[in-house]
Amino acid sequence: MPEIRNYTLNFGPQHPSAHGVLRLVLELDGETVVRSDPHIGLLHRGTEKLAEYKPYNQSIGYMDRLDYVSMMSNEHAYVMAIEKMLGLEVPERAQYIRVMFDEITRILNHLMWLGAHALDIGAMTVFLYAFREREDLMDCYEAVSGARMHATYYRPGGVYRDLPDTMAKYQSSKWHQGRDLDKLNETREGSLLDFIEAFTQRFPGYVDEYETLLTDNRIWKQRTVDIAIVSPERALQLGFTGPMLRGSGIAWDLRKKQPYEVYDKLDFDIPVGKTGDSYDRYLVRVAEMRESNKIIKQCVEWLKNNPGPVIAADHKVTPPSREDAKTNMEALIHHFKLFTEGFILPAGEAYSAVEHPKGEFGIYMVSDGANKPYRLKVRAPGFPHLAALDEMAKGHMIADVVTIIGTQDIVFGEIDR
Amino acid sequence: MIGFIKHQVKTFGLIELFKGLAVTGKYFFKKKITVRYPEEKTPLSPRFRGHHALRRYANGEERCIACKLCEAVCPANAITIEAEEREDGSRRTTRYDIDMFKCIYCGFCEEACPVDAVVETRVFEYEFHQRGENIMTKDKLLAFGDKHEAQIAADRAADAKYR
Amino acid sequence: MVKVEINGQVVEAREGDMLIDVADSASISIPRFCYHKKLSIAANCRMCLVDVEGAWKAVPACATPVTDGMKVNTRSPKAIAAQKAVMEFLLINHPLDCPICDQGGECELQDVAMDYGDDVSQYSEAKRIVGDRNVGSLIQTDMTRCIHCTRCVRFGQEIAGLKELGATGRSEWMEIGTYIEKSIDSELSGNMIDLCPVGALTNKPFRYKARSWELKAHPTVAPHDSIGSNIFVHTRNGEVMRVVPRENEAINETWIADRDRFSCEALHSADRLTQPKVKAEGHWSSMDWSLALQVTVEKLKPYLANPEQIAILLSPNSTLEEVYLVKKLANALGINNIEHRLRQQDFSADQYGINQTLAMRLADVEALDSVLVIGGHLRKDLPLLNNRLRKAQLNGCEVNVVNPSGLDYNLGIEHQVDTLSLVSELASILKAANELVDQDNQVELAAVTFNATHTAIANSLIKGKKSALMLGLIAQADVHYSKILQLASQLAQTTGSSFSDLPAFSNTVGANLILASNSADLTNWLANGKKVFINVGIEPEFDCLLADQALRAMQQAELVINLTAFDSVSQQNYADIMLPIAIFAENAGTLVNIQQDWQSFKLFASAKGEAKPAWKVLRVLGNMFDLEGFDYTNTAEVLAEIKALNLSIKQPDYQCNLDLSVITPTPSSLVPCYSVDGMVRRSPALQATPDAQLTNPLN
Repeated sequence: MPEIRNYTLNFGPQHPSAHGVLRLVLELDGETVVRSDPHIGLLHRGTEKLAEYKPYNQSIGYMDRLDYVSMMSNEHAYVMAIEKMLGLEVPERAQYIRVMFDEITRILNHLMWLGAHALDIGAMTVFLYAFREREDLMDCYEAVSGARMHATYYRPGGVYRDLPDTMAKYQSSKWHQGRDLDKLNETREGSLLDFIEAFTQRFPGYVDEYETLLTDNRIWKQRTVDIAIVSPERALQLGFTGPMLRGSGIAWDLRKKQPYEVYDKLDFDIPVGKTGDSYDRYLVRVAEMRESNKIIKQCVEWLKNNPGPVIAADHKVTPPSREDAKTNMEALIHHFKLFTEGFILPAGEAYSAVEHPKGEFGIYMVSDGANKPYRLKVRAPGFPHLAALDEMAKGHMIADVVTIIGTQDIVFGEIDR
Repeated sequence: MIGFIKHQVKTFGLIELFKGLAVTGKYFFKKKITVRYPEEKTPLSPRFRGHHALRRYANGEERCIACKLCEAVCPANAITIEAEEREDGSRRTTRYDIDMFKCIYCGFCEEACPVDAVVETRVFEYEFHQRGENIMTKDKLLAFGDKHEAQIAADRAADAKYR
Repeated sequence: MVKVEINGQVVEAREGDMLIDVADSASISIPRFCYHKKLSIAANCRMCLVDVEGAWKAVPACATPVTDGMKVNTRSPKAIAAQKAVMEFLLINHPLDCPICDQGGECELQDVAMDYGDDVSQYSEAKRIVGDRNVGSLIQTDMTRCIHCTRCVRFGQEIAGLKELGATGRSEWMEIGTYIEKSIDSELSGNMIDLCPVGALTNKPFRYKARSWELKAHPTVAPHDSIGSNIFVHTRNGEVMRVVPRENEAINETWIADRDRFSCEALHSADRLTQPKVKAEGHWSSMDWSLALQVTVEKLKPYLANPEQIAILLSPNSTLEEVYLVKKLANALGINNIEHRLRQQDFSADQYGINQTLAMRLADVEALDSVLVIGGHLRKDLPLLNNRLRKAQLNGCEVNVVNPSGLDYNLGIEHQVDTLSLVSELASILKAANELVDQDNQVELAAVTFNATHTAIANSLIKGKKSALMLGLIAQADVHYSKILQLASQLAQTTGSSFSDLPAFSNTVGANLILASNSADLTNWLANGKKVFINVGIEPEFDCLLADQALRAMQQAELVINLTAFDSVSQQNYADIMLPIAIFAENAGTLVNIQQDWQSFKLFASAKGEAKPAWKVLRVLGNMFDLEGFDYTNTAEVLAEIKALNLSIKQPDYQCNLDLSVITPTPSSLVPCYSVDGMVRRSPALQATPDAQLTNPLN
C-alpha cells in the first residue's frame, strides 16, 4: 500500500487572503492543517537599519509605513520614545489631538480589519461599508496633515500643525449639484472638529449595521466560533497583546494599565472576551470601535474649548514657526540646524509603547549622543501573533487558516519592517 | 418553552439573515455615495501633499536660493541640487532634480524651505510615459509652479496661520 | 603642576596655562569665537565666560591663567546665563543669511547658538549692515556677518606678517576691512577662511558650490611645494570641491598656502586632456588607450637602438612610484637620460652627490638664531617654511638674505644684500668668515673682497648657536649653482652652521633619492637637442628654466611623447603622442617632503575622461615592451619595492671648481609662485591674484 504523506501547500505569498505577503507553508492531512510554517521577510525594507542613518525626524515617515493601516499609532510610539529620552513636555492640546487621532486610527484599523476579515470569510458587503467610513476618516487625516494615509503628522514635542477650522468641500458636478451637493457638504460646513463630531454621531449607527450583518449571522458564527481558541495563560505565554489578549479574557490595555498622554482623563471601557476564539475577538474589536467613538467625542469636546499650542516651545527640538524663522535670527539658526543636522538625543535608551489597534506597539531606542539613533528596535504586535499561527491553526482546516490570519489582524509592514 | 420556540423560529426563519438583507436592501435603494472619478473629485484640503513645484516671487524672480535645506531633510534623498553664483552675484541652483519615484510625499522639503520655494501642490494626477521622466528637473518644476501659482498661493495663505 | 577642578572633575595643568587650554585637553567643552590656539589671546568675544569660584563676575576662560585649587563651573546658572547673554548679543546684528551663507552647516556661530544660546530672540529692532569690499579673487567677504572676533586681524599680524586687515570704528559700527581699497595679498591669506567662525570670509572659487554635509573628507598631501602640507580634499560624488588644511604640528601646523588651497580648480579645467591622441601627418586623432600605447611602443622601438638619443623629463611633483617606474622602464630599455630638476642649469656638482633637503625638522627652524638665505624667495616658494622662519625671527633670530632686489619679505631682515651675482656675494661672506675664525682662504678666493655687511653676516652665523644656511630656488637656477654649493657648504663648515639646499617641489627629495645615480645634463640635452623627448607631467615650454631652448628642442625633436594632464596648443604643435594622466586627487602615491617624511595618499576622485594615473601607464608600457617585473596591481606594491632598496641621502663632499674669474651676473630667474606647475597655472582664482600677474606664461 502506498505511503500516505501529508500534503504541503504554499499558501501565498500571492493570495488575496494571505494578507500582505505571507508565505504560509501548510502541511495538510486532507483538509486539516497539521502544521503551518509562516515564511516572512518578503516585505522587509530595512526600516531599523535605515533609521540608524537618518536624523530622528526623518524616520517618522518610516514609522507610518510599518503598520500601514494604523499610521499615526506607529508614529506615536516613536515620538513618545524620543520625548522620553529628551524629557520633553508635550502641551495638553497636543496630547488630546494625539489621543483623538490615535482613536481615529484605531477605528480606521478596525474597519480595515473588519472589512478584510469579512471579505476573506466571504461577507463582501461589510468591506465596502467599512471603507465608506474609512473615507471620512481619511479625509480627517488629509485635512490635518495633507495625506490620506501616511500622515507624518506627529513630531517630538507634539504635532506639526493645529487642526484646521475649515474643511474641504465637494465641488458641484453633473451628478451632484444644488441640494444634493449641500447634503454632501453638510458635515463640512464647520471646522475639522465639527466634521469629526458629526462622524461620531453617525458612527454608532454604522457599527450597528455591521453587527446586524455579522454578529448574529449564522454563517459568520459557524466560521468564527470556536476557531483558534487561545486560553488566557497560553495567550500570555505566547506574548499576545491587544485584542488577541483581551479576546482570551485578560483585561490588559496599556491605556488603562500604563496610561500615557491624557487617557487617564478620559472615560472609556475595555471590552474583554470570554472564550478566546475568533468570534470573541471579533466582538472585542467591534466593541472597541464603539469605545473609540466615545473617546473621540470627549476629545472633540475638550479641543473645541481649549485652544493652545500644539507643539512644545523648545526650539532646540521643535522648529520655530515660519514667521519667526523669517524674522528672528535665533529662530533661523535653529530652523536651519534642525532641518539639516536635526536635534541631538543624549546617550541613553528608552522603551515606549502605545496601545496600538493591533496590540502593544513598542519602540526601543538606543542613543549614543548623536543626531541619529544608534539602534531602533520596533516591537511589532503582529509578530508574536503570527508566530503563534502554527499553534492556533493546528487541527483546523484550510478555510479556518484564513479566519485565523484575519483574526490575528496581520499587517506585513510591521512584521517584516 | 417560549425560548425553545423562539430559537426554532430564529433558526428556521433565518431571522438574522433577513435583518441583514434589510440593511443591504435599504442601501440598494439609497443614493450611492460613489464619487464619479475623474469627472468628480474628492475634496482636497489646502494642506494636500501632491506634485511638487518651484515658486517665484511676484516680480518673476525664482524663489529658490540653493540653500539645500530641502535636500538635506529629504528622508528619501529624492532631491539633488547643484548650485553656482549667477552672473548678478546671487545664489541660484544650476540643477534641482526631484526623483518622483524616490519621493515619499512627506512634505518635509516644503517645511524646511525658508523662502517657500519648493511646495507640494494639490495635483496628484500625473503620469510618465518614458523612462527618465520621473526626474523632475528645475525647468519642469518651475513651469509647474507657474501653471499652478494661483492655487498654490491660495493654499499657502489658507495654511499660513498654522505653520 | 597645579590641580584645577572643572565641573567637578579634577584636572592637572601647568601653572599659568589658560583655563580654556586646560579644559580643551580634558575634553570639557567651553564655547569660544575669538580664541584660537595659534593666535594671541584677544578675549573680545566673551563667549568663553565661565564661573570661577571666588570671582564676582564670570571670567573669560581664554584669558584666565589657572591657579592651584581653582574651582570652575562651565554649566552653573551664572555661566549658562553668561553664555546665553553673550550669544544673544552676538546675534543681534547678525543678518538672517543662513540659507545663502556658505558657512551654514559648518558655522561656529550656528553650532554654539544651538548648544549654548537661547532659542528665541528678544530683538525686534533694525540690524546694522556693512558694505562689502572686494579683497581679491580668493576670499569672498560678506562683512555684515562679521562678529568682530578679530581672528583675521590677528592672523594677518601674527602669522602672515602683513597687517592687511584692521578694525575701524567703534561698537556695532566697527568694521573689519582693508580700510583703503586693497586686496589681501598674503600667500597664506586663504587660512583666514578657515579661521573666520562665521561666513564673513569665505572661499571665493568655492562660493555656493556645496554644503559641508554633502562633502566627504579625504586626507592627502599638497602637490606643489616640498613642505608636503597635509590637507583634506573634500569631494562630492567623487568630484573634488575644495581643499582645507589637515592638522600636522610637525609639518604645516594648522595652515596651508593659498597655492595648495586653490589649485584644485585646475582639476576641472577645460584644458584637461581626456583622450589619448596621436599626431599623424599633422592631424591629431583621439583613440583608445590600447591603440595609443601600441602606437607609442611602435614609434619608440626604432630609437631604442640608440638610447642615448632619448631623454625623459619628469615633473618634480611626480610621485615616488612614478619616478621609480620611469627609471625602471627607462633603464630596462637602456635609456639613462632622466631628469626632474628642470629649473636647474648647472649640473656639474652632481658628481659629488645630491642632497636637497632641509637639514633639520621644520619645527626646529623656529629655534634657529641666525639664518642666511641665499637665492631664495622663501615667502613665495615655500610659504610654510617661511612662516617657521618668521616665528624664529620674531623670537630673536637674525635673518640675512642674499637675493635679487625687488623681492618682498614679511619678516625683519637684518642685512639684505641685493645682488644678481650670488656667487660673488657668497664668496665675500666666506672670506669674511674665514677672516673671523682665522682660517686660511682657498687660493681661488684670493681676489675676493668683502665689506662690513659681509662681516656682519658671517659674524652672525658664527655667533649663533643654531645657525643655518639655506639655498633657494634662485640659487639652484643660477648658472653657477655648483660654485654656490661649494661656497655655501664651506661657509657652513666654517661658521658651524647647518646647510640646507632647499628642495622646491613636492617630490624633489623623493626623485633625487631614486634618480641620484642617473647621469644628467639637461642643459646639454636642450641646447643640442635629442631625437626623442618623453615628458612626464610637465609642459617643458613653461616648466623648464631654459624655456625657449626647451621649446625649440621639443619642436626639433623627431618624437615627443607627452604624458600630461593638460592639453594646450603649444603642446599640440610639438608633440606627437599625448597620453592623458590623472593627477593629484585622482592619483595614488607617495611624496617625500623637505624633512624626508614619506607621505602616502590614496586616490579618491574620478579621473577626467580616459585619464589614467601615470604609474599605471608606465606599468602597461613595461608589459608592452615585454619587460619583467611590471605586474604591479597597486601603488603599495611599487612602494614596497622602493622601500626595499633602502635608499638614503649621503652628505655630498663638494669639490667643485671655484674659478671665480668668469662670474657673470645672472638675471633673476624668479619663478612667479603661481606659475610653478600646470595645475597652478590653470587655477583661475590664483591667476587673478597680483602675485600671478608677474608674467604667467599662459596669460
